[in-house]
Amino acid sequence: MVNASVESHSSAMSPSIWLEKGFGLAFPFIVALVVAAVILLVIGENPIDIFSLMAKESFGSERRIAATLSAATPLLFTAVATAVCFRTGVFNVGVEGAFVVGGIAAAFIGFSLPAGMGFTIIPVAFAFAALVGAIWLYIPGVLLAKLQVDEVVSTLMLNFVAFGVTGYLVNGPLLSEVSGNNVTPPVHEAAELTRLMPPSTLHAGFIVGILVVIAYAVWTRRTPTGFSAAMVGYSQRFSRAVGISVPASIILVMVLSGVVAGFGGASHALGQLHRFTDGFSPGYGFTGMAVALLGRNSAIGIVLGAILFGALASAGTTIQLFSNIPLDLVNIIQGTVMIFAVVEIGRLRLLTRRAAP
Amino acid sequence: MKKLSALAIGATMALSAAAMPATAQDVAPAALIISQGGLGDGSWNDTAFEGFEAGLEATGIEGRPIESNDVAAQGEEIMRRAADAGFGLVISLEWIHGEPMEKLAVDYPDTDWVIMNQTRKGDNIASVVFAEHEGSYLAGALAAQVTTDTSIKGINAEPIIGVIAAVKSPGIDKFLVGFIQGAMAINPDIEVKVAYAESFGDPAKGEQMANAMFDEGADIVYHVAGGTGIGVIEAAKNAGHYAIGVDTDQDGMAPGSVLTSMIKRVDVAVDEIIQGYAAGEFPGGEIMDFGLAQNGVALSDMEYTKDIIPAEYLEKVEGLKQDIIDGKIEVWDVSAQGYPDFFK
Repeated sequence: MVNASVESHSSAMSPSIWLEKGFGLAFPFIVALVVAAVILLVIGENPIDIFSLMAKESFGSERRIAATLSAATPLLFTAVATAVCFRTGVFNVGVEGAFVVGGIAAAFIGFSLPAGMGFTIIPVAFAFAALVGAIWLYIPGVLLAKLQVDEVVSTLMLNFVAFGVTGYLVNGPLLSEVSGNNVTPPVHEAAELTRLMPPSTLHAGFIVGILVVIAYAVWTRRTPTGFSAAMVGYSQRFSRAVGISVPASIILVMVLSGVVAGFGGASHALGQLHRFTDGFSPGYGFTGMAVALLGRNSAIGIVLGAILFGALASAGTTIQLFSNIPLDLVNIIQGTVMIFAVVEIGRLRLLTRRAAP
Repeated sequence: MKKLSALAIGATMALSAAAMPATAQDVAPAALIISQGGLGDGSWNDTAFEGFEAGLEATGIEGRPIESNDVAAQGEEIMRRAADAGFGLVISLEWIHGEPMEKLAVDYPDTDWVIMNQTRKGDNIASVVFAEHEGSYLAGALAAQVTTDTSIKGINAEPIIGVIAAVKSPGIDKFLVGFIQGAMAINPDIEVKVAYAESFGDPAKGEQMANAMFDEGADIVYHVAGGTGIGVIEAAKNAGHYAIGVDTDQDGMAPGSVLTSMIKRVDVAVDEIIQGYAAGEFPGGEIMDFGLAQNGVALSDMEYTKDIIPAEYLEKVEGLKQDIIDGKIEVWDVSAQGYPDFFK
């Protein structure tokens, strides 16, 4: 089912296909807005008022834009981590788990290394988080590549292991002594990522996220391993026939996914929360999956998708200050976008088939 | 609804006095930030929201509850937005918001801030703390007396009681340790079975775990498990034993099968704060301690069970309560003191 999402980077597409693709990106969102409008009408609200309020709360001022980008930041990482695997035909749903183990690893480095190290703690924390994330997803990668263990099952189960392990650590060895809740001690001030537009919480992790997206784009378009991974996604039989190692590609993309997810956890721990806590990720890994699907695994699509979901998250919360719109409406919009993002992929696939001679 | 939408659009400019009830003309609106778990949790968030609505109604102030799927990370942005938009009182029910609130309170000295279950510094921050360990101590003391009294229906001679908690965390273990300490004060040899359901919302699991405890000789099980606890109460009803409710008065959920409930009056706290705020007497910079003495925690009235519990047991509990209020008994507080020797 994932093979369908691979049709992304061929440069030989005709303009009409590009139009088709642009529409494909916007279509799920339009449907979601229509659904939301109907619901708003039913509950007696004016959709135009609410939508303009949402637009204002997402992009209406410098502070709101910063809030939106701040909410989009973790999704940049989780979407890339997902897309790396999806375009290879590996249905990795374990990004959530790698994100949280990366987060706790970075937080641990952030508060346990001597504060005197200053900002050099930051690269160490990122590296350690990437290592932990990579090892985390290497396991299901090897299981899939060598033993054909279904990756959906193994990565999904590993998420629960991740929640269990981090839950234990944050309530045991790493528990802050001065708290009534499950949190680690805060990271040293020097280990906190700089805020880009104070007083907003938008932090340097956003820039790291954009760099990761760029690196992903370069990897997919300009490197042999990026190319062979895409080939594996198209057809494993073909790849084997032309001498591409399928197991090596699978393990590579799982490890890359773990590195990126680990970076994401580190960015969130050092930049946003400044510690690890219960509720560290409200499901960024899964929202990232939706972003990757919506963005068709393309770099630009991922950035746009992450900003869209970031806007929904930030505006969906603050509109409650000014209206009686419950959070459920935003959840409905998000859910509808996700469903139609998947539907769209099926439709595009049909079109491509029909277009083929 | 129309009025609210119009209000919404103009909100950043000013929450115009015309749109608000006349009684609250000079008082800026209040925001209540809902914690993880959301509205509809049947305990913490819902109880606080009840107090919020009661306070708004009594004072005529405008106010809104704010929910977020990502309440941990978005807390600072939500609170700043509320202050920017002219909200005068911002109450957060989420623990993790304490730190950012301390910074925000400096940036927005004219806004009043409220945080729960911790103490934060700032002349315009009120910290609300509940003594759940004290209330749980009384529940444990009552259970320890009842559990060996075979004259009460559904009670066996074994000195065994149980407690089912949602997750292992200091905030939850604070209840457990108080409960165990109270039980041990009555009977040092009592066995208190402890189990974690790993979920706040799994009644089926709660029921299973309670049944397992009943099979092992327990006859009273305290739950500190939100929605999971509904299954504990259900199991007590079906097995003919007893449950102890938590947070709200759950005695009526299965009349006669809920021995008592350890009530945490977050509604009283929120209501009181809003009334104080409206009257211009916001307790900024203060720690508001809601313990037994302040009626912030309490055992329920035991409407359905007070006739089957021997009066001397209740008198004993009443005596212990007075001793705690008078400072003669110190109940261990996990959230402030860490873990005691008798509990891991």
